[in-house]
Amino acid sequence: MRLTKQQRRRRDTWALNLVILPLAVVWFLPIWAMIVFATMPDSGIFSPDVTLLPSTELMANVRALEEETSFSRTFLNSLVTALVYATLSVLLTSMAGWALASYRFAGKVAVTGILLGTLTLPFFVVVIPQFILVARDFGLANTWFALIVPPLFNALGVLFMQKAFSMMPNELFDAARVEGANEWQIFIHIALPLAKPMLAALMIILFLFSWNNYLWPLLINTRESMMTAPVALGSLIGVTRVSWGSIMAGSIILTVPMLVLFILLQKYFVSGIAAGAVK
Amino acid sequence: MRLLLTGTALTLSALTMGGALAQTEDLSGSLTLWSWDIGAAAMASNAEAFEALHPNVDIAVQDLGNAQVHDRLLAACAAGGAGLPDLVSVQNRMAEVFWLQFPDCFTDMVELGYDDALAAEFPDYKRTELEVGDARYAMPWDTGPVVMFYRRDYYGNAGVSPDAIETWADFIEAGQRVMEVNPDVVMTQATINSDVEFFEMIGHENGCTYFSADGNTIVMNSPECAEALNVVRDMYDAGILTAADWGGKIQSAAAGIVATHMFGGWYEGSIRPNVPEEQAGNWGVYRMPAVNEGGPRAANFGGSAFVIPAASENPQLAFEFLRYALGTPEGQVRMLQEQGLVPSLLSALEHPYVQEPSPFWGDQAIWSDILATLPEIMQVRGTPNYGEANTVMTRIQLDYLNGGYDSAEDALAEAALQVSLATGLPVQ
Amino acid sequence: MPLRTRVAYFFLAPFILIFVLFWIWPIGYSAYLSLLNTRGAVYSFNPEMNWGRLLLDPAFSNALKNTLIFMVIQVPIMMVLATLLAVALNSSLLKARGLVRFAFFAPVVVSEVAYAAIFRLMFNADLGIVNTTLASLGLPEVAWLSNPASAMAVIIMAVTWRWVGYNTIIILSGLQSIPQDIYEAAEIDGVSRIKQFLRITVPLLKPVLIFASVLSIIGSLQLFTEPFLITDRGGPGGATETLGLFVYRQGFNQFNFGYASAAAYALAALAVTFSAINLWFGRDRP
Repeated sequence: MRLTKQQRRRRDTWALNLVILPLAVVWFLPIWAMIVFATMPDSGIFSPDVTLLPSTELMANVRALEEETSFSRTFLNSLVTALVYATLSVLLTSMAGWALASYRFAGKVAVTGILLGTLTLPFFVVVIPQFILVARDFGLANTWFALIVPPLFNALGVLFMQKAFSMMPNELFDAARVEGANEWQIFIHIALPLAKPMLAALMIILFLFSWNNYLWPLLINTRESMMTAPVALGSLIGVTRVSWGSIMAGSIILTVPMLVLFILLQKYFVSGIAAGAVK
Repeated sequence: MRLLLTGTALTLSALTMGGALAQTEDLSGSLTLWSWDIGAAAMASNAEAFEALHPNVDIAVQDLGNAQVHDRLLAACAAGGAGLPDLVSVQNRMAEVFWLQFPDCFTDMVELGYDDALAAEFPDYKRTELEVGDARYAMPWDTGPVVMFYRRDYYGNAGVSPDAIETWADFIEAGQRVMEVNPDVVMTQATINSDVEFFEMIGHENGCTYFSADGNTIVMNSPECAEALNVVRDMYDAGILTAADWGGKIQSAAAGIVATHMFGGWYEGSIRPNVPEEQAGNWGVYRMPAVNEGGPRAANFGGSAFVIPAASENPQLAFEFLRYALGTPEGQVRMLQEQGLVPSLLSALEHPYVQEPSPFWGDQAIWSDILATLPEIMQVRGTPNYGEANTVMTRIQLDYLNGGYDSAEDALAEAALQVSLATGLPVQ
Repeated sequence: MPLRTRVAYFFLAPFILIFVLFWIWPIGYSAYLSLLNTRGAVYSFNPEMNWGRLLLDPAFSNALKNTLIFMVIQVPIMMVLATLLAVALNSSLLKARGLVRFAFFAPVVVSEVAYAAIFRLMFNADLGIVNTTLASLGLPEVAWLSNPASAMAVIIMAVTWRWVGYNTIIILSGLQSIPQDIYEAAEIDGVSRIKQFLRITVPLLKPVLIFASVLSIIGSLQLFTEPFLITDRGGPGGATETLGLFVYRQGFNQFNFGYASAAAYALAALAVTFSAINLWFGRDRP
């Protein structure tokens, strides 16, 4: 028996939603569990008949966390690092992207080729020399420089901005040149404002990358006062004296601001990720 | 000075005099200290006492967890000492790699006043790993005579008396009885997934080490090691030993689902404060069973020391604090009382507190029982290659327990080969 | 130097400075380190030591094996799931689309450490919520993190949970650039949805799928935080030790920089090889 178009449509609707909706619930469960556990004492988390409903211990868990690690300080470190990092990185990558998009120059092919080549190289191949360079040779462990500058290299960001700039009409820039604007002015006053949506997308993705970065800050900071929040939180996992409730409280403090940011700026997140703006 | 060396009592009075002198010198400044778990808590209470003696001193104790302290100390030394605090604890067995790789990262405490008299207050075995030639890089802290911490009620339900457990075979048989009458309780737990503490403890008891005494030959393929590995395997096969990591073991004790934990004496301080009130009086301590009937029943596991990084801006103050916390019976016994850290300071062992029965432990005078094993402990040097051997052995043991090798001898031969590959040392 | 070259290099200069200092130089120095015996305070030249050991070291081959197993299982599962999700999210038949999008995209912004913590907690063998749920359903409990295979499964689940939304976003943007009239024409010809998917969607998505796969493969080769924190440094007994973890352990736990560098080079060679294979499959055939 052949189904009518409407029947097929109804069948497909049912099939699709019956699969996807429960899957979506399962997918959200870890985040929900994180939020709920952050409000519980450990006896609640490890209770055999655990319920996934919020309890009342959130503030106690947050206070315990603060006592253990000065979490607010590490949170601030992370925030400053991520903001400065994202701003600097956007500036560097868009300058480089502009150069590649707007000028024909000697070595352009080589630069583009090398950039593409590094896309496949894992961070692990440079982590040890980076550490030796920054920590031993420069003596800059436990500094803002060490946290922010070495991770600035981001080939995908350059390619992303190159694409953004090369899609802009060249006439606009030529007209400005005729009127006597220099290249820096063209870049700052014409090209960058036109690229705002792309810059926003890149900025958000870079902020997220820096906010969540774990390995490099773990290695380069030994001083408590310079520690970033993920490293501080990671150091509590598996240490018996810290309750899981507190660890979960730290987890949601790291996560919820990003979720809110994501809801508000979903468009930019999505376009940044879709273009693969960060390695 | 020679006179002082002859009598502990005399040394003691000299020490207290030293302490009195230090007080009049009016110490001041601030110190930061890295340590882990109960050790950090113990040093924190000593820090408080020291601050009370010297009002102008401020000591911040940071508990980073064991692995983090090790990794961060190494990373900071590689960075030329950047970001290091004034005091860091290191495990004895892991210590030698630091002097080998980064001798300039640490202060030689001899320059600060760690003289022969004070050194003689600690047993030799604690010091061998901490000193290179004339340099003393670390001061001994605690030590870890191994015992069995057990649940009197669970054993009692099964009619098992710890006195009757003389060998590991007895232990397995007792374990089966305990598990029969106490549902949901496992006889014991080991960190078989990320460590080999049972193999090492039983091995040391049985005279098995990874390396020869001079540290230059791999000897982990010995028959003594094979016997120890087979004890672990027999327990695992009998189902009386399950896997649990550090945190998991404590959770199990708190939840009342484990009947025995084996660890260094310092584990007292991890059990007592972490289990619910109603378990008080139900715990007790007995000696390790022997591998072979009539064989040795003592081993050491764990035990740490303190270093003063060369980057410390206040090394003298750091040393004065160590001298107080580790070098006086007062400081050491405080850590024993509050956190169960077994002193390595010899004179502290004669303190009256050691003889006191403990209500939590069913009125057993556990410290005198635990310390009684000290003279029988065979000492084992960690060597700079301990970390490599431990990692290799962890994987091999897990493989062996799951049937990956025909015999313990095969497994250990493979382990020795791999350690040789990693270290460049010959196999015996 | 022509003016425009100078201008171009002016714009490139800061980026190239960072690049040379923190990538080019390290890549070279790493190669040099891998030739040294770095086991003592003084380094000495001994090229066979690290490279010879690498070929024979069972711990290295274990990490290599784990990394490859992870890649071969996790990346395809995630790519298939991401493709199906993208199609679903692109379909007008889906209800509550905003919430569904949020559920799948939210993990992308969750901190690695935070999600490692919650997964470790959920899969706790004795008292974790996964096992208590299994038990209440009458199903057998699993010693998730102490059994080699299930520990690997937990890592695979965790990484898939975190990254599937990321790939869905990439694929979705590819889907949205496929002209709608192709489907309308197929619909008129009576082509079933499944056939539409296989004959139209997948071929047109190929470049996007290749791009996402390359990113995922490189990501999977760099797996570090999850086995570091969820399975406690690659446990049980090294069953989830990845090459990234191996490099970390040799470099920053044993402090054998030379050997760690050799392992890092092997990892890089893998990444380049797999990316090349992938790009070769994705090349435009005449």
